[in-house]
Amino acid sequence: MFSTSSQRKFWTFVDETELARLREKHNLNYIAKHGTHIDEYQRYNFFLSPDEERLLLKQYELHLKDFCKRFSPPMPKGVVGTAFHYFKRFYLYNSTMDYHPKEILATCVYLACKVEEFNVSIGQFVANIKGDRDKASDIILNNELLLMQQLNYHLTIHNPFRPVEGFLIDIKTRCSLANPERLRGGIDEFLDKVFLTDACLLYAPSQIALAAVLHAASKEQENLDSYVTDMLFRDAGQDKLAILIEAVRKIRSLVKMVESPAREKVRLIEKKLDRCRNQENNPDSEIYKRRMRELLDEDDLPHTGSGRMSLDTSGVSQVLSPSAS
Amino acid sequence: MDNDVTNYSVIGRIGEGAHGLVFKARHIPTGREVALKKILIKNLEDGIPVNVMREIKALQLLRCKYIIKLYNMFPRGMSLVLVLEYMCSGLWDMLHHTQQELTLPRVKTYAQMLLKGTRYMHAHYVMHRDLKPANLLINHEGILKIADLGLARLYWPDGGRPYSHQVATRWYRAPELLYGARYYTERVDLWAVGCILAELITKQALFAGESDIEQLAIVLQHLGTPTEETWPGHSALPDFHKITFPASSPTPWPELLPGVEPDAVHLVKSFIKYDADKRISAKEALTHQWFYNRPAPASLENMPKPMMNKLK
Repeated sequence: MFSTSSQRKFWTFVDETELARLREKHNLNYIAKHGTHIDEYQRYNFFLSPDEERLLLKQYELHLKDFCKRFSPPMPKGVVGTAFHYFKRFYLYNSTMDYHPKEILATCVYLACKVEEFNVSIGQFVANIKGDRDKASDIILNNELLLMQQLNYHLTIHNPFRPVEGFLIDIKTRCSLANPERLRGGIDEFLDKVFLTDACLLYAPSQIALAAVLHAASKEQENLDSYVTDMLFRDAGQDKLAILIEAVRKIRSLVKMVESPAREKVRLIEKKLDRCRNQENNPDSEIYKRRMRELLDEDDLPHTGSGRMSLDTSGVSQVLSPSAS
Repeated sequence: MDNDVTNYSVIGRIGEGAHGLVFKARHIPTGREVALKKILIKNLEDGIPVNVMREIKALQLLRCKYIIKLYNMFPRGMSLVLVLEYMCSGLWDMLHHTQQELTLPRVKTYAQMLLKGTRYMHAHYVMHRDLKPANLLINHEGILKIADLGLARLYWPDGGRPYSHQVATRWYRAPELLYGARYYTERVDLWAVGCILAELITKQALFAGESDIEQLAIVLQHLGTPTEETWPGHSALPDFHKITFPASSPTPWPELLPGVEPDAVHLVKSFIKYDADKRISAKEALTHQWFYNRPAPASLENMPKPMMNKLK
């Protein structure tokens, strides 16, 4: 149930200001850690600003959507929704300069496949990726544990898809609306876009689902207002209804504002990122390769020796999350 | 930070799982004893195994006195460590080493604990799929808890999704699984509960097949050749036509469970049914007459308290 879930407790935020604050915080942390050698007023010439990080992530959310859409075998929408949640959650607490979004993107989708029981092997998975597939599968598998850790192991995601089905069944049984199935096109289109916004970090899946249904109805020149006021919220009281109406209004306006970032801008940000990214986490860097070798070696230590036993050696958590202080 | 290995002092190794080792440890800040289940990932081709994901998801969802608790998790090198409630013993141990402890009042209490845990899981749409004595652990207070949810998964009450039939340990595997069913329900757990209950009472496995085929043969021999009436739809199961067994009529239950009182036989029988829809639910079973007959279920004070410091 959403109401008792970790999603509600830990991953539903008050408003966009809170999200912006979190995002700015890790941006500043990264710069404080890696930018001591650069003059303060010069820093954003070298590092990404919070706005640039946002823009870059918006671009990668489009890539994420596209990747899932082209995925073979066809991917259930629950997997896509879960992958979006993971991606957004990861970058609430991490900078793109620490972890390149192209690597985290693939890892999010891979983890979502497992959690949503869409069982594809790593081989099948990377067959959907262009370029060096062995390298891609190494990157994904190396990042999987990091991602889980950054998600605080909160793997279960409540997506709006099931509430949508619930509303449709309810509308069919309690409303006079003719042929509710015709709403599906509008609903799918809306939910497709909603994941490009922060709505899933701010609102309950049922609120998002209702916004989608109401949006689809208005596209069909229908009005479901009385369904909401007289049926869904008949006994709930005016204050609850007011909260819901405001949530739906806000979700619809977020969706309306979705736009693709300008290509040229993103290209420049990516160039900048190539220089300012944390080389420790760059799979092409020597320092990364050496770290991975060390990680493997550490696990080769015997687990059962004489006398006291230990799980293994030290220093590893530091390696897995270099951004953590 | 709580989720860091430096907060734990490892006391010893207590077991080996499919994907790694299990250690007993003490959580230093609280003094609490815990089990650390270390899952080695580096040799696994597809990364973190799906059943580890399932176990994490299930344990995060289920908060019940009769289901083992997952306190925490942390990464360690290329491994993931789960911090679980420490359980010093289990039903398997009791059945094999301290059988005399399993008196009828205590068996009733264990049965109630198992049923309460199962009722809770099923109320949350989680099916365990591998209930067996080895997965029913007992803590120092004598409380039985369902563990090892590596095969547990969410199910959809309306059906519609196929699941793997290669689940459940053979002796406790429901007949639809033995015939390769891909569409089944949480009621596979209830068959297992029936088998476990019978075993607790008689101290012998109810259906102990040496192979999957023998397992099926034993079940069929005891329950009789299924008919469309006792088991609607069985002939359509994937493996039904792969093997045929000689026709047999059911063995009378008193022969299967010699010397067992009629109400206990009735309860076991209510679980052990071909037709999954006819199996008694955990919720209903908890109100069965057997629990109200004398002797009454033992109170927690009278349950065996396993030793705290057992290590392998």
